[in-house]
Amino acid sequence: MRGIPTVLITVSPEVSAQMRPPRALYPKGFKVGNSLGRPGMRELHREVLRDALRLLTQDTRPGAVVTREYPEYGEQYEPPRVRNK
Amino acid sequence: MTTLSRKCVPFTPFDGELSKATVAIVTAGGVHLKDQEPFNIADELGDLTFRVIPEDVDSSRLMVTHHHYDHGDADEDINVVFPVDVLRDLQAEGFVRDLAKKHIGYMGYTMQLKAMYEGTAPEIANEIDRGSRADVVVLTGG
Repeated sequence: MRGIPTVLITVSPEVSAQMRPPRALYPKGFKVGNSLGRPGMRELHREVLRDALRLLTQDTRPGAVVTREYPEYGEQYEPPRVRNK
Repeated sequence: MTTLSRKCVPFTPFDGELSKATVAIVTAGGVHLKDQEPFNIADELGDLTFRVIPEDVDSSRLMVTHHHYDHGDADEDINVVFPVDVLRDLQAEGFVRDLAKKHIGYMGYTMQLKAMYEGTAPEIANEIDRGSRADVVVLTGG
């Protein structure tokens, strides 16, 4: 099987980073359940999806999560943290 | 101090142009068609199965079965976790060429990590590889 390039949109960057995804975008402050934004914010959804897809053509560091800010999202949320053992 | 996976990063380069790329969506957000079998949320070990979602799906026919995140917003607008209409917008504006023939929903919660990693994940990759025509995959969680 050939490999297929992937890009992850995550709202749990610390949790996702543990798995070292090939490419990942964290829209800063988006809450769990809002990977692309809030309901009906279609222009924001498009912006996030375009930014995620653009990571495929950029020199990113495999295993790292790229953080982008989207002020139009509004109220920000703290992402889930990894519990240390 | 967090623990990183010791496995190497499975990085596949993308050499093409986005405007010529066909895109599939794979979501861990528990998305499926209303007439498909819901994920089994009664089993605390999780559900290792996945659902194939066709390219021409009407997003109003999609729903979420997942009990480990608040999917109230996704119930209102599925695109917040499964951006199929958003992808259609990007296709219309020429940012990408096409939607893949198949997209995938699964419930990204399991206590059976090994089975998910060694069973479900390669099965999903094979499903995408077989006849979806995807050049790239966008992964989303909840």
